[in-house]
Amino acid sequence: MSPFEDPNVGLLPSGFIDLLQHEAEAEARGIETVMEVFGAHGYERVRPPLCEFEASLLLGSGEALTEQTFRLMDPDSRRMMALRPDMTTQIARIAATRLADRPRPLRLSYTGTCVVLGTPGREGERQITQAGIELIGVDSALADAEVVLIAAEALSRLEIAHVSFDLSCPALAQAVIDAAGLPSAGRAQLAHAVDRKDAAAVAALGGHMAPVLTALLDAAGPAATALRALGTIDLPSEARRHAERLTAVAHAIADAAPDLRVTVDPVEFRGWQYHTGVCMTVFARGVREELGRGGRYLAHASEPACGLTLRPEALLRAARPIALRKRVYVPHGLSAARAQALRAEGFATVAGFAPVADPASEARRLDCLYVASHNDLTRL
Amino acid sequence: MTAASPTPSTDDAPLVLALPKGRILKALKPVLSRAGLMPDPGCLDGDSRALRFPTNDPRLDVVRVRSFDVATFVAYGGAQIGVCGADVLMEFDYPDIYAPLDLGIGACRVSVARPVSDVVDGHAPASSQIRVATKYPAITRRHFATRGVNAEIVHLNGAMELAPTLDLASVIVDLVDTGSTLRANGLRETEVIAHVTSRLIVNRVALKTRPEEIGALIERFRSALQETVA
Repeated sequence: MSPFEDPNVGLLPSGFIDLLQHEAEAEARGIETVMEVFGAHGYERVRPPLCEFEASLLLGSGEALTEQTFRLMDPDSRRMMALRPDMTTQIARIAATRLADRPRPLRLSYTGTCVVLGTPGREGERQITQAGIELIGVDSALADAEVVLIAAEALSRLEIAHVSFDLSCPALAQAVIDAAGLPSAGRAQLAHAVDRKDAAAVAALGGHMAPVLTALLDAAGPAATALRALGTIDLPSEARRHAERLTAVAHAIADAAPDLRVTVDPVEFRGWQYHTGVCMTVFARGVREELGRGGRYLAHASEPACGLTLRPEALLRAARPIALRKRVYVPHGLSAARAQALRAEGFATVAGFAPVADPASEARRLDCLYVASHNDLTRL
Repeated sequence: MTAASPTPSTDDAPLVLALPKGRILKALKPVLSRAGLMPDPGCLDGDSRALRFPTNDPRLDVVRVRSFDVATFVAYGGAQIGVCGADVLMEFDYPDIYAPLDLGIGACRVSVARPVSDVVDGHAPASSQIRVATKYPAITRRHFATRGVNAEIVHLNGAMELAPTLDLASVIVDLVDTGSTLRANGLRETEVIAHVTSRLIVNRVALKTRPEEIGALIERFRSALQETVA
């Protein structure tokens, strides 16, 4: 922008976008479809606020959440508030406080807007919507599988094709990295190399764990082959325990949904760093972004929990375009009952405020496909 | 519960392999031919004006772009797989790129070089801020920051070696192969930041969603490398 020009009022801060008619409608319907599936499986809806005290929002969560949080000061309490970058920690807070006495397992669903700082150079999206579920108070492979299966059902309801779930276990990778026994700087370098699947750097930095890490890198792929490879790797005992859980979850998913495409990546540890068990990332073939992610973590007071969050913006781009209501121009003077009847048939009625000479051209001007009369509907 | 059908659709586009122009491409030719990947002849000899080429595999196309852009094409998913120097990966550090294979070609190093006259007893003068001419701003800032020095970057795309003599910067950070360009311009390599070779890189989402195809391509490159060793 030239310093001599006034900024255009249409300019928004990077990463914040207007959704226009068609997109906003598609997003809202997509969210309702997903929430409907969650509700049908007994996940009751809650709605935490957009803004909270920083101290409670970031309690017990990882560094990554802190680094992604917008903060502002509350002039009332003079305490630091934070705009939520993620809703999972809020659901955990609700479960531990207001719903502490409710029987477990507790099943909750939620949808709402979050704000993240974004990655330098790639601030593509800073306002993100989440729609997700949390299953709190139970620690089992079947519970992990349940969130995957429900998400798969929601995606199939949206008719998103070629969905795949990538299962991973950050704790497994971390356990192997820890077993290398490196000082903190070397450990961070090795973790970065593993995260980027940089085989050369892993071999150079991995010490005596390099062969194990390299084998884990090579194991990633479709579930059947990946689990077979994982079974043959000589893992430290803690990592082996995680590998067995990962295998059990993959089997539970395969038993319930044999056609669902599942990949396994034992060394992936992307995302919010609070996960402690099996994690999942949702992809669809031909879509260049994640559709959602989730995993097992410890809620307040170390209560076991597992959740999965879908990203409606990404779902909107992956799903087929929706059909909007057909717009009917209702000329001035037509009865209210006639318009009401059209709406009951599923049309959107666009009312004229004054008589016009040519209703057809007025209808075209207002993006209508039909003109209504007392007992007829004329398609333009 | 039924999810989307797992059968691969026939309308899927071919995979795109991004290759860098120039030095690395020359070194890559024998690897490609051992991997049984035969890009259209126009791609390798560099005469063609085209940017996208078919290969002997109908499921694989090749695009030829600048070395720095290979990483960007792969990070954004325009190409699913590519070959680029570890220097480019270090500079951009894209989270969406995996580097599963070290091709061992195009070996060189990212180094700091100074005018020969500035090097006193092998030690450079100490300072809290230094002006550096480079095409690697991120690598340079990180390198000097770990030494407690702020690097003021003069971002150039070539002819870095001129910068110290024309007083644009006091040192340069550049890719060094034989070091002859440095010597010809009165500079001396004083510190190696990293040794680099070329890597096979893949897009993260592509690897997750098309693991069989991309896994098979990685294996072809891997076995091509093992032939060299044998």
